[in-house]
Amino acid sequence: MDFLSDLFANFGINWPKFLSQIILFATVYFILSKFAFKPVINMLEERRRRIEESQLNAEKIKKQLAEAELRYQEILRKANEDAANILKEAKAVSEEATQRQLKEAARQAEQLLARTREEISAERDKMISEVKAEMVNLVIQTASKVTGKILTPEDHNRLAEETTRQLAA
Amino acid sequence: MQRFPLLLAAGIPLKAESPWEDHLASPLPWGNWITNSIFVSALVVVFVVWFSRSATRQMEVVPGTRQNLFESIVESLYSTIEGIVGRRMVALSFPLLASIFFFILFSNWFSLLPGVGSIGWGERIAFITVPNVQVPLLRPATADLNLTLGIATFFMAFWLIVTIRELGFIGFLEHLFGVKGGFKGLFALLLLPIFFFVGVIEVISIIFRPVSLSLRLFGNIFAGENLLSYMITLGKQLGLPEAISYLMSILVPIPFYFLELLIGFLQAVVFTLLCAVYIQLSTSHDDDSH
Repeated sequence: MDFLSDLFANFGINWPKFLSQIILFATVYFILSKFAFKPVINMLEERRRRIEESQLNAEKIKKQLAEAELRYQEILRKANEDAANILKEAKAVSEEATQRQLKEAARQAEQLLARTREEISAERDKMISEVKAEMVNLVIQTASKVTGKILTPEDHNRLAEETTRQLAA
Repeated sequence: MQRFPLLLAAGIPLKAESPWEDHLASPLPWGNWITNSIFVSALVVVFVVWFSRSATRQMEVVPGTRQNLFESIVESLYSTIEGIVGRRMVALSFPLLASIFFFILFSNWFSLLPGVGSIGWGERIAFITVPNVQVPLLRPATADLNLTLGIATFFMAFWLIVTIRELGFIGFLEHLFGVKGGFKGLFALLLLPIFFFVGVIEVISIIFRPVSLSLRLFGNIFAGENLLSYMITLGKQLGLPEAISYLMSILVPIPFYFLELLIGFLQAVVFTLLCAVYIQLSTSHDDDSH
């Protein structure tokens, strides 16, 4: 202890001076911690919090952007798919309509052709019957002129039947 | 004119003196304890408080020049201390450690101002000239063991409170004397005397911490002041002609002056970081530290 006392005496350490220095340092400590470090640390923490928040927001926005991109791609893919389907359906419908119209046109043409054929046939039959009748008359007239006799109704009928039979053959 | 370099620094005695005791005309009965280093400490207190308050009076999210300087120092100090003591302890220990840093730094650099240690009382040989300053008016504050021991003691008291608060009294004793390394049963019982002995050594080392902290700082600054003084008067002591010794008194101290600037900063850093390490050692739980 004497050694310590001597050491302290040599270095000029004594209680009043020692305590005064502690009080001076304590003053700095209390003033700085309350009025200087506290606001600075609060400010730094606030800034750190904001930066972390901004980073979180940026990540969130990035994630949202990636999701939106995915959604956009999905919508685009679906739209393309729908468009392709619609086009395919439209083509099918158009093809069907064309086929239907073609068939209808063919059917109508067929009907028209048949009707025309019937008409032509009827016309020809009519003409033939007229020609036949005319021929019968001509034959009868010619026969009466050639023979110089007046034909009886029986002759008339027989001649007509004979002519008709020969024409039909 | 030739005396001017002598203003930069002068050899100072081992202990801080009170000018009121012998050299002032009307000694103050209550003022004997106000030594020249306490006077400088008070000036440093005023400066540190003024500097920090002026930087932080009107805090802005986008800082001005002074706030920016103060914030950048505080921020780098904060991240360094956080890296040592951990995020949990930094809020509690940072204000004290940063106060220690600023106070020691400004005290150390204050001692490099011309006139500190070199103006004072002594045997007068001319109107305002004394050959040797026996009692300087301004003594470097950290060249007084009262201050360095005071700061170290204040810190150790804080350290003890924080450690006991963190570990509990029993936890603190276990931390010192307990068997570490996760040994259990008979093996732990066998190791108990060894770890008790290690604990006793630990207690002794803790008791010596304030002594080592304070003597290191005191020694560096005291030696620095005397080294500068020696370098200024080197030519004269070597008996060189006056013109050469005058030139040497200007040129030789310059590198040492920068060295002392660096040492002033390094000693503040060393003191602060050692304190942070002491907090980390005692407040980190055994699982983390061993």
